Amino acid sequence: MYPRPIPEDARVQRALYLGGVALVVILWLLPLLAVMLTSIRSNEELMAGNYWGWPQKFSLIENYKAVFEQTAMLRFFLNSLLITIPSVIGVLILSTLTGFVLSRYPFCGSNLIFALFVGGNFLPAQIMMIPVRDLMVRLGLYDTVYALIIFHIAFQTGFATLFMRNFIAALPGELFQAARAEGASPFQTLRHVVLPLVRPALAALAILTFTFVWNDYFWAIVLTQSDAVKPVTAGLNNLRGEWTSAWNIVSAATIFVALPPVVMFFMMQKHFVAGLTMGAVKG
Amino acid sequence: MSSVELRKVDKHYGSYHALKTVDLKIEKGEFVVMVGPSGCGKSTLLKTIAGLEAINSGQIVINGRDVTREEPGDRGIAMVFQSYALYPHMTVAENMGFGLRMAKRPRTEIEAAVKRAARILRLEEQLDKRPKQLSGGQRQRVAIGRAITRSPEVFLFDEPLSNLDAALRTQMRVELSGLHAQLGSTMIYVTHDQVEAMTMADRIVILNKGRIEQVGSPLELYANPANIFVAGFLGAPRMNFIEAKAVSVEESAVSVAAAGLPALSFGGIDVGGFSAGDTLTIGIRPEALHVEPSNRAMPVFSSRVRLVEQLGRETVLYVDASPLQATNSDSGTGNFTLQLNKVSAIGVGATLQVGFEIGDAYLFGPDGRTLTPRKPVAST
Repeated sequence: MYPRPIPEDARVQRALYLGGVALVVILWLLPLLAVMLTSIRSNEELMAGNYWGWPQKFSLIENYKAVFEQTAMLRFFLNSLLITIPSVIGVLILSTLTGFVLSRYPFCGSNLIFALFVGGNFLPAQIMMIPVRDLMVRLGLYDTVYALIIFHIAFQTGFATLFMRNFIAALPGELFQAARAEGASPFQTLRHVVLPLVRPALAALAILTFTFVWNDYFWAIVLTQSDAVKPVTAGLNNLRGEWTSAWNIVSAATIFVALPPVVMFFMMQKHFVAGLTMGAVKG
Repeated sequence: MSSVELRKVDKHYGSYHALKTVDLKIEKGEFVVMVGPSGCGKSTLLKTIAGLEAINSGQIVINGRDVTREEPGDRGIAMVFQSYALYPHMTVAENMGFGLRMAKRPRTEIEAAVKRAARILRLEEQLDKRPKQLSGGQRQRVAIGRAITRSPEVFLFDEPLSNLDAALRTQMRVELSGLHAQLGSTMIYVTHDQVEAMTMADRIVILNKGRIEQVGSPLELYANPANIFVAGFLGAPRMNFIEAKAVSVEESAVSVAAAGLPALSFGGIDVGGFSAGDTLTIGIRPEALHVEPSNRAMPVFSSRVRLVEQLGRETVLYVDASPLQATNSDSGTGNFTLQLNKVSAIGVGATLQVGFEIGDAYLFGPDGRTLTPRKPVAST
């Protein structure tokens, strides 16, 4: 029951197949399309009920200008960057260290630790809502960006460790033996051998983590309160409260908020160099 | 002073006993080749010398210094791996200078060492390339170059040629021997290829199941294997073995019988450890079997040719001599292997009288120990 290629001459099946694919793609993109369309309509048009038709008037610039002038989105955006960038960096550093040790330096209990990292991923994060909030209040970090940074680093490092451990474990073992025979210390091995070779993995992980943290809404509303700290996801919600009827502005803000992960993807793309380890061993 | 000395080295992997009380002394400047079948512990032994594998008991001494507890980088060794283990993100020059860079040596010293190694290995043109852009032979040379730049006391090679094609392997073999002559360093070389062992080694160490079976010069081991394992391991095609019964055991002489073979009497035998009625093994090298011998005194058996391999200068015949059976033969069929040093017109199906000099045959005891007296080693 696996997908098999449809023969060239089975025209009916091919047409059905392509039609099916097109339908699914449209369904999948419909909400995004709606948001995009709405973000360039004028408010009057929306009030008049023209949701899906061709816009009579394009208010692209007005809407996006309004996002910056009439709302605190820029502040939220800045908060999101302040939360997301340190979180991503923290996760990358910690998971590279843990992944390196767990894959290359087995010690008593290392498997247990690894199992904890992996197992932690299976816990629904929501069950930690009250303890984590309580912890942050007691630490005096509630309603600061640090609360979100610390939580995201702690929570994302579990998956990231699994990811990095497996990637580093897949590197040829003789590279590590060679480095050791050459007198490189574990830290030198990490710096000069591991890091250059795991760049594609770090790039992928950076995108994943960035998207996760950037898009997080749950913890943003659990751990923050004031506008000065709120990230974009929680901020968008604010917008809805204030501008109940201004869906065009909300949509414009949504598009604006959705951009960074996309930009991040294109920035990191050049690091996905396939077969970087080729030529390391054998031919 | 010996360059490398292993004293009662033991290594376990869980319940698996990988090295069993290995004792070995390697002299300065010696080229020692360790051979053995897969899983015999040869690579493990090399890694324990390198320090990449810790040992459970025993001592490893390099240049008079006990290095058993030292890190590989402090032992004065350099290792060349089977897979080359070059860093793909570094240029050839960076790869070769890696060890010195890690030791934070001055840039000028690193450059000089890399240049010198590149000159020795004819890699001057390749210094700015990445491993990916090199051929297999060049990559192997870079790996050797990386070892040379550190000017180690001891070079360790772990099957360095097994990823190369046959022609390149022969060339690299000659180059490595030349390199040894040029550098004069101690080299320990692990391989499963007995041709590499025979051609390159000053001394061969034959390992089997974590134990050293015999140590000696290639020709010495070939002429005087200590036991049936060494006899069967060295030499291609393999030695022919015949199971035989000890009929009578006298002082330093034994007469043996095997179905299909006239009774044979061996002299100068060490007769301790077995008695009449025990099963012994006769060993005869393929080149010691003669077709239609003119010497009427030779033990002779008749056989039928099953397969002929023409190798240009030599001819290898596989013959069926039933009821006489060869055990442990290359073909696994009980056929005997004959090697003739000439092109032969003998065809499949021909019936041959095959004979051998009793002085060329070996006799192995029930425990596999060689019983026949020393044979002269071919002079070089």
